[in-house]
Amino acid sequence: MSVKYVPVQWNRSKWVYDGIMLAAVVAFLYLFLYVTPELLSHENPINPQVHNARAFGACAFLMLTVILWIGPLARIDRRFLPLLYNRRHFGVMTTFVAITHAGYILNWYFAFSSSDKYAALLFANTSYGQLAGFPFEAFGIFALVCLVILAVTSHDFWLKFLTPPVWKALHALIYFAYVAVVAHVALGIMQDQQNHTFTVIFIGGALSVAGLHAWAAWHEDRNGDRLGTEEGGWVDICDARKIEEGRAHIKVLPNGERVAVFRHEGKLSAISNACAHQNGPLGEGRIIDCLVTCPWHGFQYDVRTGRSPAPFTEMVPTYTLRLSGNRVQVQVEANPPGTPVDPVEVPA
Amino acid sequence: MTTAEAILTAVTWWGVIGGIVAVVFLGYGIDRIDEDADGAFVFRPLLVPGIVVIWPLVLWRWYCLASGRDHWAHRHRPRRHRHRIFAYAMPIAIVAVIVAGLAVRQSWPDHIAPERLSPPAEDSQ
Repeated sequence: MSVKYVPVQWNRSKWVYDGIMLAAVVAFLYLFLYVTPELLSHENPINPQVHNARAFGACAFLMLTVILWIGPLARIDRRFLPLLYNRRHFGVMTTFVAITHAGYILNWYFAFSSSDKYAALLFANTSYGQLAGFPFEAFGIFALVCLVILAVTSHDFWLKFLTPPVWKALHALIYFAYVAVVAHVALGIMQDQQNHTFTVIFIGGALSVAGLHAWAAWHEDRNGDRLGTEEGGWVDICDARKIEEGRAHIKVLPNGERVAVFRHEGKLSAISNACAHQNGPLGEGRIIDCLVTCPWHGFQYDVRTGRSPAPFTEMVPTYTLRLSGNRVQVQVEANPPGTPVDPVEVPA
Repeated sequence: MTTAEAILTAVTWWGVIGGIVAVVFLGYGIDRIDEDADGAFVFRPLLVPGIVVIWPLVLWRWYCLASGRDHWAHRHRPRRHRHRIFAYAMPIAIVAVIVAGLAVRQSWPDHIAPERLSPPAEDSQ
């Protein structure tokens, strides 16, 4: 949460997260370069530039694989949510590792011709009409461009400026980037490997991402939020007495938006389920002192007003609600962000 | 001009225009459309690469915010169905790509002899 923008919002958790991440990158590179050359088919002498390029390339692939594990794991099991907290720093570091890989490649394979090395990269292989010998560099360039776009738009300013839905649509490039990286490896270094260890690790990593995403989507299809039934502009949510104290019941409205109805001190309040920061699921958070905390990044809102506590300025839409017998109902149209709504008493 | 040179020239011009947009936006526009940026200057250099890369999107959002065309409701409508499409399409694409890679791999299975894809170049690097 911010009042004024700062270059990087550090806190202790982020220092620890980044420290572990950096240590893991250094450990991976050390293992790849010095401990397991024969395991990865590097027993034949290769020059340091190629060796380094492979190390950083493999590291970038692994980092991207782990990044794409985090989302579905956090949806399936809340214990993985802390990994989601600082994933943007993870992504930026991955981009730097990928750029280092590209730098080694450019400055070795394309640096010694009379042409400009960037032009040489583009025209060295133009056999786009065949699968065998396809210019796999094109997939790498595409993936790197995607990663750069994600990294340079990772500051919180971009979330607010572009709006969370547009920002998230832009950052969906990560899926295209990953498929491109898989193609880059499958049609590139995998064609050359004589040792199958690398092939097994690569295919296992890529299939784990594929499987986790399919599993998480299937899991959400089965256990996700349900559509509420509308009658006369009011949507039925649930039996008011079934909402636990400090928790919420989430329902999908006919217009596709999600509402989270919270119970706090025996009274009900309804706000948008989408956090103003990154549209995280507020309804999966807990209320502490009237404030619900977003499970993704910790942004907080008063459930009665949809406003963050001063001096913070974030706001989410609220919903007018009523009781019909023991059933709680909300109005379909949301109130503008930050509109106070009187809480409704839960029937005894 | 070759295709490669044309692409690099286009990229260069994209960057030049993006640089100009960055100077104008960070020096003039940002204070008028985001109160959190008012008086905050240290973070602004961090935005330069992003503006250079996606400057058409920056110009569009700047216009929307400055002209009042931005509606608050748009910020609170996550497109979760879009993620569902990616979650099912990406696994299919990954499997297809891996199968394609293995299908053209000449050293696997072991009994298939390597095949030269194109004649040897006259000059090697």
